[in-house]
Amino acid sequence: MQSELLVLFFVLGLILSGGAIVFSYFIMPHSFNATKVEAYECGIPSKNNSWSQFNVGYYLFALIYLVFDVEIVFIFPWGEVLKEVGKPALVEILIFFFVLALGLAYAWKKKALKWE
Amino acid sequence: MGLTEILTMSHELALIAALIILLISEIFSDEKSKYKFIPLAFALILGAGVVGLIFGKTGIIFGGMYQNDALRMAMKLILDLATLIVFLQSTEWIKHPHNKNRVLEFYLLVFATLIGMNFMISSGDFLMFYLGLELATIPIAALAAFDRLKNNSAEAGIKLILSSALSTGLLLYGLSMIYGTTGSIYFSEIKELITLNSLSMLGMIFFITGMAFKISLAPFHFWTADVYQGSPIAVTSYLSVVSKGAAIFIFTFVLYNVFGATSAIWTQILVMLSVITMTIGNLFALRQQNLKRFLAYSSIAQAGFIMLGILGQSAIGMGSVIYFLLIYIFSNLGAFGVVAIISAQTGKETIADYRGLYATNPKLSLALMLALFSLAGIPPVAGFFGKLFLFNAAASQGYYWLLFVAVVNATISLYYYLLPVKAMFIEKTDSPIATFKAKPYMALSVAICMVGLVVTGFASVIFEYLVSVSSGL
Amino acid sequence: MLYTISIKYFLILSTLMFFSGVAGFIIRKNLITILMSVELMLNAVNINFLVFNRYLYPDQLQGHFFSLFIVAIAAAEASVAIALIINIYRRFNTIMVNKVDEMKY
Repeated sequence: MQSELLVLFFVLGLILSGGAIVFSYFIMPHSFNATKVEAYECGIPSKNNSWSQFNVGYYLFALIYLVFDVEIVFIFPWGEVLKEVGKPALVEILIFFFVLALGLAYAWKKKALKWE
Repeated sequence: MGLTEILTMSHELALIAALIILLISEIFSDEKSKYKFIPLAFALILGAGVVGLIFGKTGIIFGGMYQNDALRMAMKLILDLATLIVFLQSTEWIKHPHNKNRVLEFYLLVFATLIGMNFMISSGDFLMFYLGLELATIPIAALAAFDRLKNNSAEAGIKLILSSALSTGLLLYGLSMIYGTTGSIYFSEIKELITLNSLSMLGMIFFITGMAFKISLAPFHFWTADVYQGSPIAVTSYLSVVSKGAAIFIFTFVLYNVFGATSAIWTQILVMLSVITMTIGNLFALRQQNLKRFLAYSSIAQAGFIMLGILGQSAIGMGSVIYFLLIYIFSNLGAFGVVAIISAQTGKETIADYRGLYATNPKLSLALMLALFSLAGIPPVAGFFGKLFLFNAAASQGYYWLLFVAVVNATISLYYYLLPVKAMFIEKTDSPIATFKAKPYMALSVAICMVGLVVTGFASVIFEYLVSVSSGL
Repeated sequence: MLYTISIKYFLILSTLMFFSGVAGFIIRKNLITILMSVELMLNAVNINFLVFNRYLYPDQLQGHFFSLFIVAIAAAEASVAIALIINIYRRFNTIMVNKVDEMKY
């Protein structure tokens, strides 16, 4: 067993993660002023905090979109093998869609799709 | 693949059916009628257990991705039983007006995690293992943040999801290295192909680190106490018993069966982890006042003792680990049940609040005493036999000095397990918790735990059965 | 064409990504940035799986599929984490970890 490689890897890992902390501490400027916390450091002076209130509906839509969007990752490989596998593949994707539809129905029931 | 083959995973299918039934009843019921579904959830978990017991059969399907055998079926039934107890204990809390809009969500999320754990237990390759693990982890974070109006609960949720995300990252990094060296993700193939080289060793170390996060072995335990304290009690007991039990099972299985050829390395790691975990868990438990935090640190220490059993490395090791988990489920859930009853009634959670409890509520005090004695491992109670078999397993491999450390730790743990007992029976106070009658569901859950403690402690046939089914692995 | 790049450069890249993620997870104070660090780690794992599959075991697909599932699960994890972060913001009015510390021992 090449244990020295193992040690080397751990040392490298320590240096990489520890070095990043130490290095950034040395090169970062330690000054602090009001301009720095603004959303845009240059250009038009910003009016108020960037953490202003958004309608929470945006987040809900984004979350639901995210979950349904990523499912396409499974549908593409399915389309690739559909002809070879045949009927079982069709049944499987229908089960898959059924579960997705249940999720959508739940979101609907909880009024997550309603814009208020 | 025929229908009969699919029935190999009848337990999981039953749980999925239960989940879908609950989801549909959530969608098609109005706001007012949620409470009547609580008995339905009890019936569904019972039904899933019965289906698993009757139709469950051993076999390997999906080209080796899924496997089922007698030991796994026993483990799944144990988890079902524990979940049922947690459900019983949660009734009072879930009926609180704060939760009135999300009664069924609690059961949905718990069922989802249970499905994940079942698939994780039955996994035959690392992909299924990973999917099960994540399905068992992500909904628990939502459960930890279930008391949306409490700051502590929100904090517990975010700490749980971020630390579990980190641990998943570490674990997957290890798995990718193992894939790189062996070219397979199937347990049976990796077992044959794995060799001692630096890349696969590194992968194994990352894997162990990730799992150590999940079962909160020191030094990867920092999230545990905060999450346990902040979560609702039902979720804390679920987290500390069911999800920990499932993770320990599959961890043991993977170490034995996938990394069996490299046991010289991982036994050394486990010895270190075990010593650190027992010691740190005990030392921190000594100074806790909040009972939830107290039980959190005690469960960390218990995980250290379980490592001793894993070091036994054979059917005896596996059998003693499962047997200890069974006892641990009863004793920990018994303790949490009493804490939940008192917290639901009075809102009090610290040890000092329990002073003089024996005078006012003798039955609850006796139950808590029995559960704590079992956790401590005091002889006539089941926990003693559990610890004895764990120590026996470690001794069979010659870890005598580790055994010495463990015995010292078990002695230290006696002290703090007796603190609440002392508060209840000996210490006096002017304003003890008033006499009250526990709600029937919650009293039933504690009663099940007490019966379980007695039965598992005195029926040696259970241990023998577990060892006999472990030997097939 | 692809094979003109040696496997070790991919592995160096993924190692750098992974440990940047670990470092970011530890030193960052903003919860969203911590979540981004975790995603960085998972993507490093993805690169590892894909590269090992393509270079060492080109006649199978296990690594490819593993990375597909990692992508999907990471999305689910992120959506739950973001929901919890919104919850934190509502409770604490901040998403800095050093402000979210009501429980101490």
